[in-house]
Amino acid sequence: MSKLFEGLEAPLNEAAPAGIQYTRRTDAKGVGSAWARLASKDDLLRAATLLKQRGARVSTITILQPKAPPAPPPKEGETPVVPTFFGGVPNDGKSFEINYHFDVDGDTLTVVVYVPFGGEVASLTPLYRAADWPEREMMELYSIVVSNHPDPRRLFIDPAIDGAVLERLIPFSALVNSATTKGLWEKILAQTGSNA
Amino acid sequence: MSTFTIPVGPLHVALEEPMYFRFDVQGETVANVDIHAGHVHRGIEYLVTKRNIFQNIVLTERICSLCSNSHPQAYAMAVEQIAGLTVPPRAEYLRVIADEIKRVASNLFNVSVLAHLVGFESLFMHVMEIREMMQDVKESVFGNRMDIGANIIGGVRYDITPENAEYLKAQLDKVEPAIAEVTKIYRTNGSILGRTRGIGVLSREDAINCSVVGPVARASGIEYDVRLKAPYSAYPNLQVPVHTLKDGDVWSRAMIRLAEAATAIGIIRQCLVQLPDGPTACTSERPAIPPGEAIAKCEAPRGELIYYVRITDSPRPERVKWRVPSFMNWDALRFMLKDAKIADIAIIVNSIDPCISCTER
Repeated sequence: MSKLFEGLEAPLNEAAPAGIQYTRRTDAKGVGSAWARLASKDDLLRAATLLKQRGARVSTITILQPKAPPAPPPKEGETPVVPTFFGGVPNDGKSFEINYHFDVDGDTLTVVVYVPFGGEVASLTPLYRAADWPEREMMELYSIVVSNHPDPRRLFIDPAIDGAVLERLIPFSALVNSATTKGLWEKILAQTGSNA
Repeated sequence: MSTFTIPVGPLHVALEEPMYFRFDVQGETVANVDIHAGHVHRGIEYLVTKRNIFQNIVLTERICSLCSNSHPQAYAMAVEQIAGLTVPPRAEYLRVIADEIKRVASNLFNVSVLAHLVGFESLFMHVMEIREMMQDVKESVFGNRMDIGANIIGGVRYDITPENAEYLKAQLDKVEPAIAEVTKIYRTNGSILGRTRGIGVLSREDAINCSVVGPVARASGIEYDVRLKAPYSAYPNLQVPVHTLKDGDVWSRAMIRLAEAATAIGIIRQCLVQLPDGPTACTSERPAIPPGEAIAKCEAPRGELIYYVRITDSPRPERVKWRVPSFMNWDALRFMLKDAKIADIAIIVNSIDPCISCTER
């Protein structure tokens, strides 16, 4: 395990005044992984600044919409309680969990922030140039806004296609412009006016 | 002097895969470059969540053919971490052998294309011929030339018989001197040096800034190799030399790849000597995979490949995310191509050993 990785919890706690949940583990070969879940996404830049000072680099960013846990039926007259993530963001199946994976000399520290649906998160690009493409990809796959991104254009997906593609079901035949057997066949039949 | 814009790609004779560049040029000199990606974006990260944990071994191998072994390996490593599976020692060595065989073939492919772009066709064909010996190895040992299907969750799918080991050693005995011979040509030949020395320079500072990985980083003086920084499989038991150079030009990147191909042969030989007896997988049945999350990294031929896997109580993973080495290295092209000559564009782009299917998924 990297020495840089040691003693990160206390300074991270200081950098994120709203609070963190910190867990770490080491595999059989001595490679460490740690997770720092931030209670507030507003602490992200401060935590990232601390990691930059420690020589970390952004490896990648994973974004997902965790499925909501099954909730017990509400009692009569009571409003249903929506479960929340650490920090209070609703765990409703629509909120985003963003995992920023930092490499610290071989070990990986993942800083996790939770953002409600339609929310906004600060760009890491002022600190890490390498966050540019992952953030652009995150914007086209999900309906999340990255503030202060220097180049918020589409990365891989054509601008003609509506955003947030991972939140929607797109038939494969539409995705590949009917270049697939059944869709293509139906298109040809429709165009020639014949019925098979 | 007036500035004008020239397109390169998306289909270009020098690029094996589609990528579109818009160059602002002043006369013969590149002033600025804009990269437009997405021509082979297939939504594989979405497809992975629609298949079960075991089917994804097959799917991840098909993200890209050049680093096809690294994807299922890193994916399997992440799943094994979640499930607490211990890969048997023999399987760990067999994983390294598969990895290094792919590395030799992949690196030789890139340096051969460099010779082609320089216009040194006989060298191009000669290096491809050497690579062909490694293709024969893959076909003989694994049954396929590109997607070798070596990994399963908990171990490997193949084994090396004593007969196979003898054949592999015999092939390495032929490939090793051939690599040494071409390395000498790349080091001394005027045509190669004239087109590659001092071309497409990436300084150490810019390399750190762009977070480049693999041979691109090591050619700019960054001593980072996942096999040593985050050891996995049998690498902790093996001598793995790390090669670095300082100049960060096209030539340095090619020399690093040649050196790493030669080193890979040494690593395969060490594995064949040390190869322990025992099973090739931790279980003969499909292991149970509990919910959890994990990160795994490995050193693909182009550099650090990282996988993040999240599993809930469904047989399908909730999310699998991977970042390939090429994804980081594109950005560095802006520095390498700054003030480059138009004639050097293809050579510089090839020097990051770009893998577009990997980048776009």
